[in-house]
Amino acid sequence: MERRDFLKFGVLTGATATLTACEKPVQQLVRFVPEEDFVPGVATWKPSLCTLCPAGCGVTVRIMDGEAEVVRNGQRGILKMGLAKKLEGNARHPVNRGKLCARGQAGLQVTYHPDRVSGPLKRSSSRGSGDFQEIGWPEALSEVVTKLAELRSQQQADSIRFVTGEMRGHRRELINQFLASLGAPAAVQFAPLDEPVLRRANVLAFGRAAMPSFDLERANYVISFGADFLGTWNSPVAQSIGYGEMRRGRPGNRGKFVQVEQRMSQTGANADEWVPSSPGSEGLLALGLAHVIVKEGLRSNPTEINSSREVEEKLKDETYSPTQIATRTGISANRIERLAREMAAHPPSIAVIGGTPLAQTNGLFNALAVNLLNMVLGSIGSPGGMFFAPGASTVKEASSANQSVDFVAQVLSGGLENAEVLFLDNTNPVFAMPPSWQVSQKMKRTPFIVSFGRFMDETSVLADLILPDHSPLESWLDDVPESGTSEAVFTLAAPAMRPLHNTRAMPDVLLEIAHSLGGSVSEALPWKTFEEMLQASYRELARAERCHPTDGFEKFWGRMLEQGGWWDGQCQIHSPESPALEFQAPEFVPPRFDGSEQEFPFYFQPYVAEAFLDGSLAHLPWMQELPDALSTVMWGSWLELNPKTAEKLQIQQGDLIQVRSRHGSLETPAVLNPAIAFDVVAMPMGQGHAQFGRYAAQRGANPMSVVAPLQVEQVGSLAWAATRVSLSRTGRKGRLSLASGALYEQEKELELR
Amino acid sequence: MLQHRLGALAFSLVSVATFLLCSCARSRSANDSSPGSEPFFTPAHPTVANAVKEFLGWRATPIQPIAFPHNKHIANGIACMVCHTGVSKGPVAGIPSDKLCMRCHEFLASDRAEVKKVAGYFNSGLDVPWQRVYGFSPSAHVKFNHAPHIRAGVDCSRCHGDVTNMTVAVRAVQINMGFCLGCHRAQQASTDCVTCHF
Repeated sequence: MERRDFLKFGVLTGATATLTACEKPVQQLVRFVPEEDFVPGVATWKPSLCTLCPAGCGVTVRIMDGEAEVVRNGQRGILKMGLAKKLEGNARHPVNRGKLCARGQAGLQVTYHPDRVSGPLKRSSSRGSGDFQEIGWPEALSEVVTKLAELRSQQQADSIRFVTGEMRGHRRELINQFLASLGAPAAVQFAPLDEPVLRRANVLAFGRAAMPSFDLERANYVISFGADFLGTWNSPVAQSIGYGEMRRGRPGNRGKFVQVEQRMSQTGANADEWVPSSPGSEGLLALGLAHVIVKEGLRSNPTEINSSREVEEKLKDETYSPTQIATRTGISANRIERLAREMAAHPPSIAVIGGTPLAQTNGLFNALAVNLLNMVLGSIGSPGGMFFAPGASTVKEASSANQSVDFVAQVLSGGLENAEVLFLDNTNPVFAMPPSWQVSQKMKRTPFIVSFGRFMDETSVLADLILPDHSPLESWLDDVPESGTSEAVFTLAAPAMRPLHNTRAMPDVLLEIAHSLGGSVSEALPWKTFEEMLQASYRELARAERCHPTDGFEKFWGRMLEQGGWWDGQCQIHSPESPALEFQAPEFVPPRFDGSEQEFPFYFQPYVAEAFLDGSLAHLPWMQELPDALSTVMWGSWLELNPKTAEKLQIQQGDLIQVRSRHGSLETPAVLNPAIAFDVVAMPMGQGHAQFGRYAAQRGANPMSVVAPLQVEQVGSLAWAATRVSLSRTGRKGRLSLASGALYEQEKELELR
Repeated sequence: MLQHRLGALAFSLVSVATFLLCSCARSRSANDSSPGSEPFFTPAHPTVANAVKEFLGWRATPIQPIAFPHNKHIANGIACMVCHTGVSKGPVAGIPSDKLCMRCHEFLASDRAEVKKVAGYFNSGLDVPWQRVYGFSPSAHVKFNHAPHIRAGVDCSRCHGDVTNMTVAVRAVQINMGFCLGCHRAQQASTDCVTCHF
């Protein structure tokens, strides 16, 4: 409709309204102003933010006019609105530079998922039964407000717990301000994977509780200890771009890449050399490499560090010599020496650690040892090395050191049982924790649980009230990417489309609760909506940020929304601010494993599935359909073991295997993988949901059901790769969907014949 | 006569193909040793009849939820483009949302039964589920764009018939490739395949 037509209509309606309905003509007119103005059939692109993993990539959303099937006021029908049709990487975003991974692409399905919780729910029978009844928002909110007011009047606000997934930016800020205004303890972030260990190590080594970034583009040699940095770990899209540059972007100079791990990952499959060291010995191997470099005086670019000399002396110690560590690591002394000489001769070199080495009981030692190797290689804060993304000045430091620790500590110390009210946002600890910690049983004793879940998962099903959040595409979002960029980046996105269901944005709900509580709580959170809070906070940024040109907030805000955030190339790479306060050579701590070698002969390594990460994406059918990069299995789970091991146990591909540990057992089909150590079996995480929508529920098995409740020493998070298991045949065939039909071309041909 | 023959030929081809595909799916699932597996073949059409109909271009007459009188609106001086706003701007002319209807009908003729139906949809927060009258089958891979036709001065009635005399829109003109090409030739517009099929 033309603007002129619209005005004509406006005048006409306004006049008629005044004549016929005398009460509030202005409101009547406002009622008919279109909320969106789309040319039918023509797409527009709006910037947004990917929230499926913590990398924080910028996306653009293709929006087109369309008809959505919705329920409004209890009536099912269609609604014409702008609908998100496709996600792509935001070309201007410094983290992903226009690229987007398969998981990011599937972000669309979060919005259109048929099993989204479409309105507030209240538990109608016993806890965990999954019986809920629909209630209205006013009743739901008044229940929360009553409960919180009651606790406050009884001076029991400290029994309020708020557990969230990994989150940054103002969402996290708002939650913490909300809790502080109530007098409740700060939110507990539950990171089920390896991040807490690495953060702790980076605090000890660099004074920064952050995930590292790597300047792969300019590196000549990369050694990665277990980190699947091209697939799932840290900021995979940014790292893949950098890796591509390192390998093929500089004619005549192809950087070398070595991967140390026991089961070949997607990243390992790209490596020039694959080094299967024994589980938990990665840190020792790193120190062995450092030993050779220091002893032979190969350091090309020594970083000046206070304790540098002492560390060097300690590294020269014979306990770290290749011959000494060869048996322990399972790597020959010659190979260790050769690798050390290679990486010293081809600077800049980087050492990366992630994944299983951090999930051993000695994970912290492994991480510190690799940090030390980086120092010896002179790669800290230098071009072609590792660095930390610049800290954000308005939004507080992206993450605190001991996130998961808090949660595990809460569980173990009975913190969950003592809670009177438990809020859950974007987290599923019942699924991601070993059953022997009894998270579910402990949560069942909490008197009042409120979940902001968009989907009914194993944790949300225990809630008394479910206040479903908008999907990310329907929400105001902001983020401060923690790694993957050398610039200061604030990603900001307005809702890309109107909400489909009767949901409300979690931050807006918190603000509404705060205002209903009134008094000091309401004063502490003066904003009406999350959008107002963002504007107020970014107004500060516009004023304070040293790199920012000063041309008024309105323009700044408009530009932010247009390009999907704010970043500035002039804020260059920051090296760690206080490098190596007490950089010491870490003492070798041997890994501990649960179960005896005789009874349980195999190391059990769950690994982060490319499609599901820790399991939080298993509800998306595109992700279920995504074949695993190496085994090509889809729609299920499996156990990988070496063909030679399988031969000994008379196991064939597809046989249903029983995996047993001291803490439980599971059944899953076998996949024979020649690129896995003989004494290691591996299983992807993410499947085996009891409930998580129709695509994930009752599919495959959850490796956590056999994982032992061991903790990473001095960190406290779950050491999920420290379990030993035994295997036995069930005599039955498992259900295995392979996209390729078989692992080898030869077999494929045979099958076709 | 030729058309009939072609139709019959197409019909037999489609039936044979569908039969083959279905039986293939059955045999595959019977041989599959893994328990509980489903047939791998999912037909794009719910029934064979449906596939045949699409192939031959037979479409059911749409039944609109509201007996919308185009004639009365046009007689009152409302041009096509007031409601079908996209027609001069992009590929799709667009059907107005009930918000646009209610701009007038909140007060005009609000006592009529059909207008009350629109108001009912509007008040429940939903849109009127209008049924599509024109359009191409997806397998034709035609990308039609209204805007260049409007710019070239093609009158709406050329393809949509005399809407001034219609109540609900009916398919007054059978739009097939021959119809398009006839006009394109007469107007000396491009008849290159990729002008429409891409």
